[in-house]
Amino acid sequence: MSVPAVIAVFGYALLTALATGLGTLPFAFVRTVSPRVVAYANAVASGLMLGASFGLLAEGTRFGAWQTVAGAMCGVLFVLAADRLVQGHEAGFGTVRGAGARRMLMVVTVMTVHSFSEGVAVGVAFGGTAALALMITVAIAVHNIPEGLAIGAVLHPRGVPVVRCAGWSIFSSLPQPLMAVPAFLFVEQFSAALPYGLGFAAGAMVFMVLIELLPEAYEQARRAPVATLASLTLIAMMLFQRYL
Amino acid sequence: MDPTLTVLLYSAVAAGAAGLGVAPLIFRERLPLAWIGWANALAAGCMLGAAYALMVAGLDRMALSGAAGAALGVGFVFFTHAAARTEDLDLNRLDEASATYGYQVLLITSLHAASEGVAIGAAMAVSRSFGIFLALAIAVHNVAEATVFSTILTSRGVRVRDAAALSVAANASQVLLAIVTFSIVSAAPSLLSWALGFAAGALIYLVMAELLPECYRQVGRRSVALVTIVAMGIVVLFSNGGT
Repeated sequence: MSVPAVIAVFGYALLTALATGLGTLPFAFVRTVSPRVVAYANAVASGLMLGASFGLLAEGTRFGAWQTVAGAMCGVLFVLAADRLVQGHEAGFGTVRGAGARRMLMVVTVMTVHSFSEGVAVGVAFGGTAALALMITVAIAVHNIPEGLAIGAVLHPRGVPVVRCAGWSIFSSLPQPLMAVPAFLFVEQFSAALPYGLGFAAGAMVFMVLIELLPEAYEQARRAPVATLASLTLIAMMLFQRYL
Repeated sequence: MDPTLTVLLYSAVAAGAAGLGVAPLIFRERLPLAWIGWANALAAGCMLGAAYALMVAGLDRMALSGAAGAALGVGFVFFTHAAARTEDLDLNRLDEASATYGYQVLLITSLHAASEGVAIGAAMAVSRSFGIFLALAIAVHNVAEATVFSTILTSRGVRVRDAAALSVAANASQVLLAIVTFSIVSAAPSLLSWALGFAAGALIYLVMAELLPECYRQVGRRSVALVTIVAMGIVVLFSNGGT
């Protein structure tokens, strides 16, 4: 495998990570931050993460259903362990302390960890169809934008400035270029691990939604708007991924 | 077997399974709130898994109409709730004895079952095995849901035997809508992605608006999340063979 090809893969994957930052832009125009807005933002983030997970599950089960579900259960255990670890310590995120900070820390962690699997998926896709490299890059980059939106929806209403939100979003996607290169070089070995990885990412995100985001949303807003926002964003996210 | 008979048989099995929901009530006259929470979480997980399978099947056929159907499904449940004024109805007010509350519980249980009927009918139109898989997922869901429903009924003085019969009766709309959906989609196959999407959207909304908010009040969020995701994982695992 030639060196320029490796650099190209890394570069493309880095571009896709930067695209994640774009997702936080809408928050530059949001000013009011009432508890209800936090709840609605949580509902939107839940819909985005659930939609993304459904897409990952559909992708993973094509390679192997058992492996995907086994990976998903590892993802659940990971979030449980991380949750316990964070709860034991005095959580802080920027100027925020307490339960809010814990939730922010968890979302950034889960989104970052899920990027490892996505990076593998990008690398494997490059290996399989090198001719489509540019198309895949654009697809993944655009697909990352709503993930930035999900992170912004959790961080911004709790007082994190938009620039910082963009920074954390890009940070959460950095594992993508890091994992894409080895996956590209060793396609065969990584393809075997892919369903586990995709399942892990999906399991971690769904569990995160169930244990942190939705219960908080229900506490601060009525059920109907929370359910409507979360369901419609889930559907929009799945349709969005389908067309890329 | 005639395909319509298959739909009848399996949707009847799903509706009939609701009768088994009273089982815990035979052993304990009054269930701890946590049990109801676990039952709700189990029902939510089965439904999320079923919604995932339907959504993927719908989008695989025709992405745009699948998603449009899903938005319609969300809208359908949203507006029926708004019209019946049941948006914030609690299913755990065991001491509430008013007739209105009883009617509202019966009404939303039937509406809920109707959406599941559309799901079974649409899935049967995809393939026999997918339809059977979906009917069985809904059947397990119905058992858990009927446990919650029967707990309310028995706390209002209904006998356990009658509660079992009423649980099955409240799910009768499921059989009807499964057959109607299957017939329509078989006659007009271009509607299949709409029907799959509609069922997926309705199921997702029901999970978010009815089941999950209930169980977070009944048990801790950690147990809710664990029971829901394990149930969903099992359904996802078996959904693979169908589509």
